[in-house]
Order: sequence, then structure tokens, then C-alpha cells
Amino acid sequence: MTKIVTTGSAGTRLTRRTLLHTGAALGAGIAMPGILRAQAREIVIGGAASHKPWVETHVMPAFEKKYNARITFEGTRSLVNLEKMQKNKDKPYLSIVQMDDPVMILAVKEGLLEPITVAKVPNMAKLKPGTVHMDGMWANYLQPWQGIAYNTNVLKTPPAAWAEALDPKFKGRIIVPSLQNTEGLPNLFMFAHLATGKPMVEAYKDIDGAFRELQKLKPNLLTVYSQMPQAFSLLEQGEAHMILGALSSFGMQRRLDGAPVSMAAPKEGIFPVPSGIAVVKGGPNMDLAFAYINELLGAEVQSKIAPPTFALPTNVDAPIPPGMPTDAKIHTIDWAFVAENRNEWVKRWDREMAS
Amino acid sequence: MMRFLPRDRMLWLAAPALLYLAFFYAMPLIYLLGRSVIGPNGPTLSLFASFFADEYNWRVIGNTLRIALLVTLVSLIIGYPVALALARARGLVQVMLLTAIILPLSVGVVVKAFAWQIVLRRDGTIAKLLVATGIWDEPQRLLFTEPGLVIGAANVFLPFMILPIYSVVKLIDPRLSEAGATLGASPFYRFRKIILPLTMPGLISGMAFVFSLSVSMFVIPSLLMGDRFQTLATLTGRSFLLMRNEALGSATAVVLLVLAVSIVVGSTILSRRIGRTA
Repeated sequence: MTKIVTTGSAGTRLTRRTLLHTGAALGAGIAMPGILRAQAREIVIGGAASHKPWVETHVMPAFEKKYNARITFEGTRSLVNLEKMQKNKDKPYLSIVQMDDPVMILAVKEGLLEPITVAKVPNMAKLKPGTVHMDGMWANYLQPWQGIAYNTNVLKTPPAAWAEALDPKFKGRIIVPSLQNTEGLPNLFMFAHLATGKPMVEAYKDIDGAFRELQKLKPNLLTVYSQMPQAFSLLEQGEAHMILGALSSFGMQRRLDGAPVSMAAPKEGIFPVPSGIAVVKGGPNMDLAFAYINELLGAEVQSKIAPPTFALPTNVDAPIPPGMPTDAKIHTIDWAFVAENRNEWVKRWDREMAS
Repeated sequence: MMRFLPRDRMLWLAAPALLYLAFFYAMPLIYLLGRSVIGPNGPTLSLFASFFADEYNWRVIGNTLRIALLVTLVSLIIGYPVALALARARGLVQVMLLTAIILPLSVGVVVKAFAWQIVLRRDGTIAKLLVATGIWDEPQRLLFTEPGLVIGAANVFLPFMILPIYSVVKLIDPRLSEAGATLGASPFYRFRKIILPLTMPGLISGMAFVFSLSVSMFVIPSLLMGDRFQTLATLTGRSFLLMRNEALGSATAVVLLVLAVSIVVGSTILSRRIGRTA
């Protein structure tokens, strides 16, 4: 038996236990050198897998240096991030989430988010209107957008209006996303606008009108996709001539890769694709979390990440990347209205749009 | 107690598989069944009542059964002669035929669906062939139509029709047919009276295989028909994955299961009966 000896703060006599402690501490020092030496604090971000490249290149290095912090980026899907927050609600390990707006609404409903304020995130004051949601629960740091993707071999001039898709010459040549996909919803609002002729803010709730107008599109539909790559492959092969509500991030990338496709921003306007960022309530190192969001909402970072993601910046000081629509009407989507009614719309779509 | 245990010790060989299925098939299935008949206030059939009350769901059931039957029929028409040829072939030819039938199984359904997209499109091979032969005046759309789906699905499931029939045909003594011939029976008469009855068990299990695979297929209709054509399987997938309505998903899954099980059990009983009389 070894006797435990405590001798106050001055001297420590060597016992087996003190030796073990020292050994353990040394071992920890070797195993985790970064943490011990630099004393860097860490934040974990739950985002999309597709965000990883630009986070790691354009955001992480500068941020880690400036704040002497470490960022761990967990790239997955929005709903998975929501689940991570729900499961660890009592002891959150994520500090920040980068998720789609519809999923943000669910997170707000469950009380998982901490509001952002101008006091904590000064760059919030520099954002375009319509990019801060539910009293600062989350903000949009980028706006990839949805317009019309078209085959450049078939259509020599870009479609100028969404209504062109109704032209009988496009019989069986139009593709739209399913309402199951988030990108499928704007078509519903656009067709409500086309049906009523009223401005979008007044028209979008007229879902009856939207479905009535969509009946006119039916003969022109080639298919309703749930897998976007399939839709683009049909467009590139020339079997389809247009995809209504296509994502700029996908369409512009394909154009860059040399595919005969391009994106049009028609006169009725385009829709921003929700790229939201929020602070997790009670998450670790909240001050760092707010600092990170401030960086992402700043003009400097946005001007770096907007071009490779084919998105519009949300900070008014950040320039619109070349090749992007500069004067297009941008409609905001009422995601709370979507969340309330989406299942009903999907059901109705099945019945009324069936082939 | 002991008398409940099987006397034939060979039957114990099925134990690992039974145990595996009990844990990974039967238990989740019972859970699924439970979910479809237990509401917030105890046992209820209200989910099924509202499911069957909706006219649209009957259309979905119709879609599911029609496509599965057509796929089975096309596979049978193409597969039966192949199985006969395969049993007759010898040596290298048989190896090549078998490889040609089995190898496509290693190509994923998604890859096949994309390949079919190229074949079925308006300037694809089939449209060109039909226009060149004068059957069509101008190229028409095959992609995202029911015929396109049936052709594509039959292509994927064909091996499951050919192999069971082949395994039965190769056991038939060729002298039976020869004996018929010496007695003056015509080839058609010999086929009808000798080959067809003897291959019936294989034919029925092949049909059961293809039917149950095509009645529950999910990826193929999603890729070859898109979102405008719902079957019980795609409706189930959507209830779980998108609408998060697990009760409705369980109900549609149970309807699908009952349909598939009754077909498979029915055909097994039929095949045993025919096997006995043949």
C-alpha cells in the first residue's frame, strides 16, 4: 500500500499517485499538442457537405488566425444537423449551424437557436433586405438563386420569361423539380403570379390559381424530377429544353464544365435559395460563434465565396460576381407559409399533375 | 416438449437463417404492422379506412399492380425461350449465355436507368429504329411513359425470370420429348403436353420473383417515370422520407406487403399443386 501524502502547496513528495498524474498529463500533452500549446478555443459548425471546400479555403484559415481559434466543420445535411441539435439540446456541442431556411424554422420552433443582434454581429446592418429572418434567429450569408436552366444548342437566346415555358412548341420538353425537393416550391409561387398577374407578394398565396395555371404546363412536361443530376443530364442531352427553377450553383457549374447549358434570370424574377446561418442556443464559445457569423456576413469573405458557389452576396458592399444577374427581381420565399402547407400541396400535386 | 422439435436433424440447418430473419425481418415488420394499426387512442383501423376511402390511392394501387403485371408478362415472354435455349446449350455457349444473363445484375439500377434514358430518348436507338422501319412517322417520346418503365424494369428483372425456369428445364429428360416425337406428336403438341407442364413450377416461381420485385420497386420508377407517377412503394418512401408521416407510410407498406405476400404464397401453392399433378 502506498501512503498518500499531502504537503500543501510548497513541496510535493513523490508518491506513486503523483507520478501517475504527471505521466498522464505528459501523455495528454503529447497526444493533444495543439490544444495545450496554443490554448486555442474551438467551435464546431454543422453545415452541408458541399460547404466544406469553401469553408476550409476561404473562411477557416483567416478566422483561426485572427481569433486564435479552431474550427471543426461537420458537413452533412440540414435535417441531420437539426437532429444533432435536438439530441444534444441539454449540452450542445455545435456552436453554429449552416442550414436551409425551412429547417431553420423547425429549429426555431423547438427553441434551439440564439438570436443574432447587430450589437454582437455588426455586419448584420450591412445585409440586403429580406435576408434576416424571424427577428434575427438566422440570416442568409449567400443567395444562390433559382431561375431557368436551358440548353444552349436548342435555345439560341435565353428565355426572357417563365411564361415562355407554356408555349406549345415545348411539348414534352420542360422539366420541373418535385415539390418534395426544396427547389420545387418557387414554381408554385411563380405560377400563382402568372395566374393572377398580381405582384408576387400578393399573388404567392393563391395556390388554387397556381395549380390552375400549372395545368397549362402539363402537356409540356417531360418529367418532374426528384434527382437533380438526372434532370441536368436530360437537359444536356437535348431531350429537355428547359428546367424551371434550376439552381444556379448546379447550372453555372455545368456551364463552366463545358456542358451546353446556361442559366437565365427571366423578367418575372428569380428566387434566392436559402443559405442560412445561426447560433446554437447554449452552444460552446458563443462569442466566437458570433464572430464567425460576423465574418461570413462581411463583404470581404462574401466576395471570396460568392463566385465559386455561383451565388449572390447578401452584404450590400460585396460585388455581384461576373456572370450573375445584376438587376433581376429577387423574390423572398415565405418559408413559414411553406412549412404549414407543404404536405397538402404535395398531395394535391400528386393528384392534379399525375401523368 | 421435445416432440415440437423437428425430428429430421437436417432441418436445423435452417436455424441460422431463421434467426437472422427473425431479428432483421420479422421484428421490424411486426413493428411496422403495429404502427399502422395503433393510433394515439389505442388500436384502430382508421388509417386503412381513410387510405381506401381516397380515390387517388386506388389509382396508386392500380398503377402498382398494372406495372408489376406488365413487367412480369414481358419478362416471361422474353425469358421463357431464353431459359429453354440455355438448357439446350452446351459448353462455351452455355457459359457465355449464363454470363450474359447474370453479369448485368452487377450493374447498379441507377446506372441502368441512366443508360435507358439514352436509349429511350427521342433521338435514342429505339426511336431511330422505329422511324427507320417505318413504324413511326416521327420520333415520339418513350422516356417517362409507362411503356418505357415496363421495358426498363423488365430489363433489370429478366434474370430472375430466366434462372428459375432454366433450373427446371435442365432437369427434364430430353427423351420424353423424343418419345413423343416417335409417336408422331407435332413440336407444338409436345411443347404443350410435355415441356410446358413440366416447366410450370419454374415458370411460376420466376413469375413470383419478378412480380414481387417489380411490385415493390422504388428507384426504377423514380428515375424512369419521375414524380408524376406514384406506386405504393414510392408513396411509402415519400411518407417516411419527406412527409414524416410514419403512420401513413406504415399503412401503405402494409397494403403493399399484403398484395405481394398473397401473390407469392398463392403462386407457391399453385406451383406445388401443378408440380404434383405434372
